[in-house]
Amino acid sequence: MLERQGTDMADQKWGMVVDIDKCTGCQACVVACQSENNVPINEEGHFTQRRAIEWIRIERVWEGEFPDVKARFLPVFCQHCDEAPCEPVCPVYATYHNSEGLNVQVYNRCIGTRFCANNCPYQARYFNFWEPTWPESLKNQLNPDVTVRSRGIMEKCTFCIQRIRRSTRDSDREGTELEEDNRALSPACVNACPTQALKFGDLNGHLGEEAAEHLEGHGGHGDSHHGGRGYHMLDSLGTHPNVIYLKKVDPSAEEVEAHG
Amino acid sequence: MQEHVQLTQKEINDDLLAPVLGMPKWWYGAVGFLLLVIFIGLAAYGYELYWGMGVTGLNRPVMWGFYITNFVFWIGISHAGIMISAILRLTQAEWRRPITRAAEVMTLFSLVAALSNIMFHVGRPWRLFWVYPYDFSRGLFMNVRSPFVWDPSAVMTYLIGSSLFVYVALLPDLAVVRDRATGKYAPTVYGILCLGFRGTPRQWKLQGIAGILLSALVLPVFVSVHSIVSWDFAVAIGVEGWHSTIFAPYFIIGAIHSGVSAVAMIMALVVWLYKADRYIRPDHFDAIGRLLIVVSTTWFFFFFLEWVFALYTLESPEIAMRELQVFQNPFWWLFVIFLLTSYFIPVPMWLFKSVRRSPMWMFITTILVNIGMWLERFLIIIPGLARRQPFEFDWGSYTPSLVEILIVCETFAFVSLGMLLFAKVFPLIPIFDMKEGMILRDEIRIGRRTVPASIRETP
Amino acid sequence: MASHVDVKSHQGHGEGQYVPFTTQEEVVSDLITKHTKVSDKWISGVVAAGLLLLLGVVGFAMRLANGMDDRVVWGYYALMFAFILSTASAAPMIAIAPRIANAHWRRPISRAAELWSAAGLFSLLLFIPMLWILPPLNDGRRSLWFFDPDDPVYSQVPIYTPHIWAALAILGLVIVGFVLLWLSAMPDLALMREHSTGFRQKFAAKLSGNWVGTTGQWNMLHHRMGIIGAFYFMMLIFVHFLVTMDFLIVLVPGWIDALFPITHAANALQAGVATVILSMIFMRQFGGYKEYITLEQFWGLSKLLFALSLLWFWFWFSSFNVFWYGKKPSEQAVLELLMVGPYLISFLAGFVLSFLAPLFVMVWNPVRKSIWGPTIMSVAVLFGVFFDKLRYYVAAYSVPGIGDAHVHKHFMDMDAIPKVHMPGLPDIFIILGVIGGAVFFYLIFARLIPPVSIWEQKELMLYKVHKAYHRTEVFVLGKPR
Repeated sequence: MLERQGTDMADQKWGMVVDIDKCTGCQACVVACQSENNVPINEEGHFTQRRAIEWIRIERVWEGEFPDVKARFLPVFCQHCDEAPCEPVCPVYATYHNSEGLNVQVYNRCIGTRFCANNCPYQARYFNFWEPTWPESLKNQLNPDVTVRSRGIMEKCTFCIQRIRRSTRDSDREGTELEEDNRALSPACVNACPTQALKFGDLNGHLGEEAAEHLEGHGGHGDSHHGGRGYHMLDSLGTHPNVIYLKKVDPSAEEVEAHG
Repeated sequence: MQEHVQLTQKEINDDLLAPVLGMPKWWYGAVGFLLLVIFIGLAAYGYELYWGMGVTGLNRPVMWGFYITNFVFWIGISHAGIMISAILRLTQAEWRRPITRAAEVMTLFSLVAALSNIMFHVGRPWRLFWVYPYDFSRGLFMNVRSPFVWDPSAVMTYLIGSSLFVYVALLPDLAVVRDRATGKYAPTVYGILCLGFRGTPRQWKLQGIAGILLSALVLPVFVSVHSIVSWDFAVAIGVEGWHSTIFAPYFIIGAIHSGVSAVAMIMALVVWLYKADRYIRPDHFDAIGRLLIVVSTTWFFFFFLEWVFALYTLESPEIAMRELQVFQNPFWWLFVIFLLTSYFIPVPMWLFKSVRRSPMWMFITTILVNIGMWLERFLIIIPGLARRQPFEFDWGSYTPSLVEILIVCETFAFVSLGMLLFAKVFPLIPIFDMKEGMILRDEIRIGRRTVPASIRETP
Repeated sequence: MASHVDVKSHQGHGEGQYVPFTTQEEVVSDLITKHTKVSDKWISGVVAAGLLLLLGVVGFAMRLANGMDDRVVWGYYALMFAFILSTASAAPMIAIAPRIANAHWRRPISRAAELWSAAGLFSLLLFIPMLWILPPLNDGRRSLWFFDPDDPVYSQVPIYTPHIWAALAILGLVIVGFVLLWLSAMPDLALMREHSTGFRQKFAAKLSGNWVGTTGQWNMLHHRMGIIGAFYFMMLIFVHFLVTMDFLIVLVPGWIDALFPITHAANALQAGVATVILSMIFMRQFGGYKEYITLEQFWGLSKLLFALSLLWFWFWFSSFNVFWYGKKPSEQAVLELLMVGPYLISFLAGFVLSFLAPLFVMVWNPVRKSIWGPTIMSVAVLFGVFFDKLRYYVAAYSVPGIGDAHVHKHFMDMDAIPKVHMPGLPDIFIILGVIGGAVFFYLIFARLIPPVSIWEQKELMLYKVHKAYHRTEVFVLGKPR
């Protein structure tokens, strides 16, 4: 019914590919995101109150019975959906879809109704219940490119839009092409991941080709070994996320035997 | 009515103006207590304004809690006024006469209380005016696709419509007060307020037509307000148990259920506090009790339908949420209380005429109903948010904080205080309506029987 | 201000009132004469309806020749079954509801409304083939009865449960409808027992039992009519619930519309009002009941029709808004199937005729307070109901089964949306035949039971008096408890 936003607009359509097989659950991405984006410090009290703000969080899922228990790690963050359910419900247009395929949150417009948080099926949105404060000594590490939010405002992953903007400005100024694997362009989480489980890029460019390969033969039930590992989270809701996840590859029985 | 009392016009004036022209003994105490509760509640809100939403029990994932529950509850209560006034006026039910104004006034104050809950709920209430349809020199209007913009539009329309309704019905009574008020300024003020109503035939005719037109016009608003409030939940796909098409009529019938119950409560209170037992008689309680049986059974059918459709697809997220609602702590005992108080205790009691005719039993059963209906809204909102699928890692719970409890109490005190103040300044039982009822009342003798009758205008 | 009025001297009379004579004896003999005389118009009506019914049987046989396995071609049959359920079975509500509200204008038409229970008998006959068309529970789809072949607990549900329950419900509805008709007609049958001859007299004697009109009998009658009336309403809602769930909603995976049983029932009430209005105009023009069925009746029902048309919109929009807003693919597919895709024209016809036309035409008081205004609007509403049900039933019955690659038990792909299924010749015959059949049954029963309720007319004469009031005259309406 409604045309997908973000397709026939600007040249770029930013997206990410997350390889679950490579994710070790180390949470380096969480720390990197926090320092890059001036996310308030989450003390123990915040976690027990369930108000911790983690723009990217690692969900840990246990599978199986002892002794065959496996831990699965799933990095979850804003999927920047083309048909984002959080967008139509904001009464003041504090969140909308920009021409580069990003779902942007406008901090100074948000009045804190928290409807968007309810409607996000990925629970990727976070609310500032308290006024964020940093000790004096840590104020120097705040990123000047990113707004420091006050209380009463929603926030979420922005694909480090400040880095996208800076790289775009730099490449425009120098007259060079914007390179997708440029570390200055990639979000902090992508840069911090030790196993390169997170990849960022242009879904209209190289990353898009890679993603299409993974999604091929997909229908949600791709083969585990040759391509087709890709899927969208919560596909049936029709949100059209711009993040593709690659299924974990469990070793076959022979491989387990062979490796002991 | 079988047992009507034949009163003269002077008696009616004296009785119904007594609260306005005099001062009941209990008034100062009651108003003082309510003001105290309101003050404490507002102080709690000041605390919340200063420190932020963190002082509530809200968290991630339960981002909506007591305030939204309370908001929906008060919108529900506000539907009583229109039900009693407009629908019963259009169907020419005589028993509505003593209670229309109390119901309508409760509507007005409930709507204001509901709107205040929105203010309590948002994170930055000093920017709430951005929802208003004006671009406030930012070049940005509000988002008309958001249910949170439909809400204030509908509620404000309803508020304006109801105010007009109350005002038009109040005009003749304001004239009566003008003629009997003492003091230096009171007659002038009432005179201005009643727009110079003198009781000429033309004025009566216009007042009558205005009342009927407003009754008909406010009915679509009445239907749309709670439908729109229900769509705050129904259009959301991210929460289990919310995305159901039945929400609009379900909420409306629930609103009628809780609203009419609230009117029955008010009726009992008026009888006790203002000694109005000659005007609000057991027959009225009987009639409202019978209406309540029909309304609550219809409501229960909608509730049943909602459950059936939620469950029949056997989809695990929905089943998980319902299982939480019915079997897990702390929701299971709230669910049991809700079922008992909203239907299974009151309705069997209302089947008995002696219960229906007794103000005290009607008061008790309708308080139970409203407790149940408040819990119903709570049980729709919180369990769905607490266990959102499939991210079990993010499951949460919700405990209301003292601030939220105090503010909710404040809204109840606000509505009560509003009604008390209104009853002090304007007559709460419509004088002209009662007189009209007396005039239209008649009897027919058929053989040796006498049948009550009412005079109708010739079609 | 109470004054006692001596009833004998101020009976209701005059132009535009609903009792054309001054004494009860005159009214009784007039109505009995009208009822017992077999007019030519009635005969031609029965013959025409009978011929249409035969045509319908022919169409049904043509369909039956191809078997009942292909659900797609039986869509129009299902549509007409639902149409009768919505019009004829809902019509008795017009007698029940105003009776509870003590609205006196219903008196001349309440029997005409209750007689539609006879056509309810016809709906029972129409239902029987539906039992073969509806698949059993184990075809893979989700249903109201929680049947899950993979679950040891839920798989114990008998696979023909929906058929049994729906049959019981419809049978119950028809029986309750007949009981209501019989109770309501009993005093009149007693009159016929005294005043008529031949077969009619024997029939009336048998059915009226030992009714003599004692106070106890009258009280019992009113009491029972109230209870049976409420029971009929509950059965009606129950039947609509089962039919919409088992015979419609579960056939379209992804169509999880909790409101739809209520929508279907409310639309039925609207169609029932329209049916009664049409019955009224026929009785006026062809039955000779012009003095009894007057503007008052049309005015009362037109207000109801107007309100129910608005209700149509509200229920439709509630469902539509929730489905449209969330953009879930399963729900988008359902909207495509039922509304904007192959059945767009049918939807628009239904929308205009069931809602827009009644809204813009009947919002004017002169239209509501006329005889022809509500009549024309009723015709429009009945066409609107037909087209509205067409898009539901024909579309749902043409959805491929669960075995199809694009149809899961929870949702349907856009690829699975079938093209529009146009009616064939047998379907046209069936449509005409069902309408003819309903009218046929109605006319036959109208010969046996007086179509205007004589005892209610007499009651009205007791309750409605004129009296002088100061220098004018008003009329006083009794409101008994």
